[in-house]
Amino acid sequence: MKKILIVDDDPNILDYMTSLFEDSGFKTFTARDVQEGLKIAKKEVPDLITLDLEMPDEWGPRFYRKMSQDKSLKNIPVIVISGLSGGDHAVGKAVAYLTKPFDRDELLKIVKETLHVS
Amino acid sequence: MSHEILIIDKDASHARALCVYLERKRMENHMAFTPDEAAVLYDNIEAQVILADPGLPDMEVTAFLKSIKSTHAQVQIIIMTTLEQFDQAMAELKYDAVHYLLKPVKSTALDMALYQARSWIELNRQLESTKKKLKLLRHTQHLYQQLFDEVPCYISVQDRSFRLTATNKRFKQDFGDEIGSHCYAVYKHRGSVCQTCPVADTFADGNSHSTEEVVTSKSGKQHHVLTWTAPIRNGEGEITQVMEMSTDITEIRQLQDHLTSLGLMIGSMSHGVRGMLTALDGGIYKLETGLAKNDMARTHKAFDQVKQMTGRIRKMVLEILYYAKSRELHYQSINIAEMADKVVGDALAIASKLGVKLEANISPTLGVIDVDPTWLQAALVNFVENAIDACAYDRYKQDHVVTFDAFELSADRICFIITDNGMGMDQETKEKMFTLFFTSKGSQGTGLGLFIANRVIQQHGGTINVESELKKGSKFHICLPKSKSNQPKMVPVSKKLTTGVNNETDNKK
Repeated sequence: MKKILIVDDDPNILDYMTSLFEDSGFKTFTARDVQEGLKIAKKEVPDLITLDLEMPDEWGPRFYRKMSQDKSLKNIPVIVISGLSGGDHAVGKAVAYLTKPFDRDELLKIVKETLHVS
Repeated sequence: MSHEILIIDKDASHARALCVYLERKRMENHMAFTPDEAAVLYDNIEAQVILADPGLPDMEVTAFLKSIKSTHAQVQIIIMTTLEQFDQAMAELKYDAVHYLLKPVKSTALDMALYQARSWIELNRQLESTKKKLKLLRHTQHLYQQLFDEVPCYISVQDRSFRLTATNKRFKQDFGDEIGSHCYAVYKHRGSVCQTCPVADTFADGNSHSTEEVVTSKSGKQHHVLTWTAPIRNGEGEITQVMEMSTDITEIRQLQDHLTSLGLMIGSMSHGVRGMLTALDGGIYKLETGLAKNDMARTHKAFDQVKQMTGRIRKMVLEILYYAKSRELHYQSINIAEMADKVVGDALAIASKLGVKLEANISPTLGVIDVDPTWLQAALVNFVENAIDACAYDRYKQDHVVTFDAFELSADRICFIITDNGMGMDQETKEKMFTLFFTSKGSQGTGLGLFIANRVIQQHGGTINVESELKKGSKFHICLPKSKSNQPKMVPVSKKLTTGVNNETDNKK
């Protein structure tokens, strides 16, 4: 079962995406900030990460930078899901950039393509 | 200039002798032997001097002379008469004649009389012209005074020591009739010259200068003014005074501030709105899948989430509407205890969801209060929900309680006290909490809630006192007058952009 780590500070959105991914047969982990996200990422080494850009304590791009410096994590594909528009270049190597509120079918399609799951 | 002379004398030989004498003196003249002839001639030649023998006791000539003098005051009449008729002639014509000569007329006496008549004519002419000029001057002066007074801006004229030497009507209305006072004292209530002064600059270089200033009228109202200066020079071209013209742009500035902050608001809120919409999508998704799977627990949970998100979106939209539009309060007499119960009821769902105990102590005999129930209730709910949030964010304590007390402070004053044992506030948060767009809740907050709640309480003539200690909790005292008559008149909310418990919290200065 493929593992997805969801990083977002809003518990309602974490709840939403957890249900969405689990209903599609993925295993999920959630993190509400950068520190927690890095800790779980290192421990679980997920197959994909969804990342919010604006969180109260630290910015999403910082998470991405730190993650890129870790050999075991740097190749994990990242999907940016953010409430900010126009920040497409904040995370250069993201496989996709979605703006909230996102289209859930589009998100699932991208996730399945990225993870080669049908 | 030639002065045409009309001679009226029924003694033809005397008339002719005069005529010959005057011609020799190069004076144009005409003769008439009867008043009728004289009348026809006068109409044609417009004589300036009439040399006449009234021919008394016949009154025809004197009647003609009087009528001419009454319609043509500028004509000068010289009377020639015999010694016997002299007194009667004077009695008849009095001041209508400029001179009385004895017949036969002596040339020197005639010369003098004519000279005098011509002098009068010249003087009269000058007087007429001066009168016309004076009239024009008065008219112009009146026009300029009117322009000076009625121009829709403040005008003052100042000397080198910045003393006001003239001010217009608008200036006098708002700043008083302060001729002789210093400009800086009247406009800015200062004891010394302002650091930058366009009047001083104009005295120095003779050019126009402009600044934007905030001045305070005698009623204490602040005006944003755009000021232009112009030099006033004397006949030698030296600058003796400077005129200062100030246009009131307060409303433009207010509108600009409001638009700026509206833009700021939309910008700062878009992230929050997007988050809420995504969470609403989440609720709908779970509702759909819950129904599809016939999973009642999931459906119920999803429904709660949808309800909660709809409530949050509704609150945010109302806040935006409240801020975006100038709103008059719609007063109603409301039972205080019932309103307080509703406030607690509204907040109860969120409190139980977040595991915070909400206790209410509401005396049932609080009577009625004149308020706009929609906005006052929303403001009170905002305070209670903030207290609940403060508990939810706190990580130092296990059990959290918010209490809501409503009691009567005096016959006409009601108090609500909202106490929580949540995270408390640091100094900065305490100072800024009522400031527009300030939030300590990250993307969850709009920075509008407490700003508006504070405004609503102020609009109702109420007061807010806050006690708070970091990690321990906060206590809000909100006191309101029960009757509308005890409430001060406030400006509509949207016209004032800044707020705070005290002025130190204003961040727009």
